[in-house]
Amino acid sequence: MLYNVHFGIYVDVAMPVEDKSKSLLPFLSSPKLLPNESEVEFQAGLQSLLSELDNPSALAVALVSQLNECLWWIRRHTVDKELLLHEAMARLLSREGSNWMGSGNSALSVALEHYLNGSAQKDQAALIEEALIDANLTLSDLRAKAFKDAARHIKMVDDLIHRQHQTIRHLQRSIDSIDYKSRLIKRMDLELAALESKQPVKGVLSLDDEPS
Amino acid sequence: MTMNHRRSLANRCNALKSTGPRSASGKRASSQNSRKHGLNSAPDFESSLEYRALVELIAEEGFSGFACADIAAGLLNYRRVMDAYYDTYTSPQAVDEFLRDANMRASNPIFSKLLSPSGSEPQDVRDMAAFFASMQRQERRKGGPVSRRSADSYKLIRYQRNGIARLSRAVRQG
Repeated sequence: MLYNVHFGIYVDVAMPVEDKSKSLLPFLSSPKLLPNESEVEFQAGLQSLLSELDNPSALAVALVSQLNECLWWIRRHTVDKELLLHEAMARLLSREGSNWMGSGNSALSVALEHYLNGSAQKDQAALIEEALIDANLTLSDLRAKAFKDAARHIKMVDDLIHRQHQTIRHLQRSIDSIDYKSRLIKRMDLELAALESKQPVKGVLSLDDEPS
Repeated sequence: MTMNHRRSLANRCNALKSTGPRSASGKRASSQNSRKHGLNSAPDFESSLEYRALVELIAEEGFSGFACADIAAGLLNYRRVMDAYYDTYTSPQAVDEFLRDANMRASNPIFSKLLSPSGSEPQDVRDMAAFFASMQRQERRKGGPVSRRSADSYKLIRYQRNGIARLSRAVRQG
């Protein structure tokens, strides 16, 4: 059992996607993960989404897989927003402190990243603190300035996240449509069977039923 | 300024004198330099094995022949866009640290020497320095790797919008 980050529930990851139905996934390129990402967590997200569908069709599984990828992209872009801030902070420190260009932006970026994560070594912490004094800034001042400096790129990342939300909405509508279609076909089959046997059928779905 | 920096600067000055590729193969290769993701080219899904397999599987769900073809093409097209999105995200334009961190004022004597060892015109040196300064400004404006990958990914938004709209329309109309 694994914890699902999207919905805060525990799911069974042992159940393969192929068990759900004859899958379209082998014929589509699969979503790729970054080197530092966990495939188990990704699959857990997919399985938890699939578990919400009642007997999903092959097409529904393919669409849910795309939806899971969108959720993953939202996570990546959310992390990027914080990284953009860190990048801008390092840039500002490098610019403000006249003698810091010599050590290079990269060294300062790495030191700042560790400093903000709380994993900085002594020399890295000293470098950042000295740079802050040199630039006459506190960490919160620097963050505020960096936010202003990186605003253009943060707006871009916000748009990327918004795009993924829109894509999810499209996919949800498509999945609903498939679900409604399958219920309609089932209902027509039942009606046909009823006509053939000329007996009243119990449990036939109403036409007015909305997709779940 | 270290020897490496001197060499880099000399290489860049020499590169400015280049007139581009001369051979047919060089011209063919450089004609693809501006190609980024290939999403503007029309794909030929119909002849692929994946397309035919998808159409058959979708047909089992009760969709009409036309709808199956539309949905299969929509799915393949959407995956194509998302693959390009991933590639763009994972391989952003590299940061030119040399250009970004170079001290232009300290480079002026090197420009003078490179332009004419026997003594160059001050105007030429000023032009060269101004050119490098503008390149440095552009490089700095692009920001670090995260800024670059965000900006590069942002350019693919419209392809994603069109891709998912095509897929969604095909499924709902099917």
